[in-house]
Amino acid sequence: MGNITLGRYIPLDSPIHRMDPRAKIGAMIITLIAIFFPAGWIGYGIIFTAVSTVIILSKLSPVYIWKSMKPMLLMMVFLLVINILVIHTGQVWLKIGPLSIYSDAVMQTLYIIVRLLLMIMITTCLTATTKPLDMTLGIEDLLGPFKKIGVPSHEIAMLISIALRFIPDLIDETNRIIKAQESRGVDLKEGKLSERIMAILSLIVPLFVSAFQRADDLANAMEARGYQPGEPRTRYKILKMKGPDWALLLGACLLLAGMIYLAYFA
Amino acid sequence: MKAVEVKNLTFSYDQEKNAADDVTFSVEKGSYTTIIGHNGSGKSTVAKLVAGLLEKKSGTILIDGLELNEENLREIRRRIGIVFQNPDNQFIGSTVRDDIAFGLENHCVEQKDMDAIIEEFAEKVHMTKYLDHEPTRLSGGQKQRVAIAGVMAMHPDIIIFDEATSMLDPQGKDRIKNLISELHEDRGLTILSITHDIEEVVKSDYVIAMNKGRVALTGTPEEVFAKPEELKKIRLELPFALRLQEQLRKEGLTVTPAITMEGLVEELCRLNSKR
Amino acid sequence: MPIKFEKVSHIYSEGTPFRYVALEDVDLEFREGAFTAVIGRTGSGKSTLVQHLNALLLPTSGTVIVDDWQLKAGQDAKGLKKLRKKVGLVFQFPEYQLFEETVLKDISFGPKNFGVPVKEAEEKASNALRMVGLDKEYEQRSPLELSGGQKRRVAIAGILAMDPDILVLDEPTAGLDPQGALEMMRLFRDLNKIHGTTIIMVTHDMEQVFGYCDEVVVMENGKPTIHTSVQDFFKDSSYCDSLNILPPALIRMKDMLKEKGFALTDDIRTLPVFARAIAKQVKHHG
Repeated sequence: MGNITLGRYIPLDSPIHRMDPRAKIGAMIITLIAIFFPAGWIGYGIIFTAVSTVIILSKLSPVYIWKSMKPMLLMMVFLLVINILVIHTGQVWLKIGPLSIYSDAVMQTLYIIVRLLLMIMITTCLTATTKPLDMTLGIEDLLGPFKKIGVPSHEIAMLISIALRFIPDLIDETNRIIKAQESRGVDLKEGKLSERIMAILSLIVPLFVSAFQRADDLANAMEARGYQPGEPRTRYKILKMKGPDWALLLGACLLLAGMIYLAYFA
Repeated sequence: MKAVEVKNLTFSYDQEKNAADDVTFSVEKGSYTTIIGHNGSGKSTVAKLVAGLLEKKSGTILIDGLELNEENLREIRRRIGIVFQNPDNQFIGSTVRDDIAFGLENHCVEQKDMDAIIEEFAEKVHMTKYLDHEPTRLSGGQKQRVAIAGVMAMHPDIIIFDEATSMLDPQGKDRIKNLISELHEDRGLTILSITHDIEEVVKSDYVIAMNKGRVALTGTPEEVFAKPEELKKIRLELPFALRLQEQLRKEGLTVTPAITMEGLVEELCRLNSKR
Repeated sequence: MPIKFEKVSHIYSEGTPFRYVALEDVDLEFREGAFTAVIGRTGSGKSTLVQHLNALLLPTSGTVIVDDWQLKAGQDAKGLKKLRKKVGLVFQFPEYQLFEETVLKDISFGPKNFGVPVKEAEEKASNALRMVGLDKEYEQRSPLELSGGQKRRVAIAGILAMDPDILVLDEPTAGLDPQGALEMMRLFRDLNKIHGTTIIMVTHDMEQVFGYCDEVVVMENGKPTIHTSVQDFFKDSSYCDSLNILPPALIRMKDMLKEKGFALTDDIRTLPVFARAIAKQVKHHG
């Protein structure tokens, strides 16, 4: 499980890491929208350069970004094959026996692939440079305006941050239970169907029991320390937009404007 | 002056059996009181009732003379802190700093004052170096120290320790025990400690022994340990010094009762030098 | 039946920034039939060490020899099942492994996994339940409804029902009350002395080491630094002092009395013997 890169926070010290999560989430959304305008290769070139600049500033290694793209490769190849079989417009570039490869098939696939890769770069850049807790704070603030129409933005944020807090503990717990049941002869890798169902039950039931115990303890601890859902409380972490944050948002907006221009007015 | 007064307190989780059955006791302000009893004797239930985490069936609980009820709950929560057994399940923040802040946020402390408070109490529990550590990088004992800092930061008058050292290794245990003594001696806090640690009980001011949801014995450690037969009946351990005295008696040597080893050594020396 | 570590290292997450050396070049042999305590600070490698005994972990280098098995890095998992029957491992807080509808079914889960027919497995379960001090009426109860102490007993019975020759215990009494811990330790002592089960127990409790074990292994920074008899380990408080651990009450008391001029020998281990020695001196003087 150690090689899951997608969506993991990478603790580094960089100007991007220090930025306001709201600015980063906002810039991500704007850039993602920008990608969807058919701005041609020049447009994608500009976006790629902009995102690469951000990645360089964030000190993330290109290897890491590449790793997070890798799982998508198979899907891209699949897409290319489908498009070659289905699209028969444009010039014929290559003829292999009965199969003709048309220029539109290749170009359209490339467009989709480039968009996908850009999207992965952008989202990876956000999750890798933003602490989960900061992310929840950012989401809470961005959802703030919807509080009036009954969206419990604070409770949602609290829920997410507690879930994130306990993920490592639950992974440890799962590993412990697996080992304990393996010691009782459970074989998770082989065996008859009935045995495998038992094996899975022997993990799931204890995991639930312990998760409920944890939830119970946690509720007590939170209540004892004065937490009351819905009651007013102050907040320790206050997000402040600074110069670079505004610059990032402005940059994203310019990118969007540029794409719209390239797509419809150029 | 009583810090806690519990009168005829009854509570049950189900309809069958009372987990707390007509419990009456009081805790002197500024005292170090221990509650002992085997697992399932109702001690943790009583602690949770006193902290307002469970709703009593009947009886009264007074904290500093203030009755524990729906109206006073928030005020009482501020006066009573509780540190639980499991270090992992009470660490709420994603870092030490955030965890101490959690209680402050709930009690609406102004944001600009928080950093100073967090640093002050992290210092008190010797965790300043770890302020930005995540819980996965801390030991059980360190997490318990953070829990204590989080409770302390709310300036409570009473702190309940619900088997707070039972899941720690000996080093962690020692540090937490020293920290608790410090809170009691230097800051004059009332300590209510639920414990199986007989050495801690010997050193406390007052002992409440529970069995089957009821208070079985109360008194100073000397008074409570003067009834070894009754303690054995409710599955409780005796301090080493008393167990040795029982054996000495079998060897025909009767000594003036002492509950600490130091006391017993003194007594044996006195006998030994006597001609 | 040898239980041996030969130049065993165990490194977690090799090749990542989280690389962690848990065991380093361990040479160690556990004596068959003995009740051995493994002590050491949190993070000293105790738990990693004992999880090699039933191949839950394999060495990253070196060899672990248990009976006819030679456990090495990258070994195929086939055939390890028989080893796991031979070496029963009880984890810390084992009550979290209970999952069946009834106590009897849960205890017989282990034996059934090792191919024991249902009937026989349930017989073994019934016996194991009696061994841990719970009577027959518990057989049909749900394990999830029991008290904490009872759950622990049922979980341990689940391992005992596998008839292991070697029982490995990771802090088996953590979280129990003193009386519960005492009963548990007596059970292990009986298993060791009467049934001849080899027991290897990870613990922090010096009273237990002193009161029940034959040998002590001290782990420090992934290496066993001391391996000696309990007798020798507690002859005075010197070993404990060097490791910065609090000696058992009897040793502390003995040291205090020795300081005051009492003549007490190193071999005193039990309370009655201790009391007799003290009484003899006081009467002699008095």
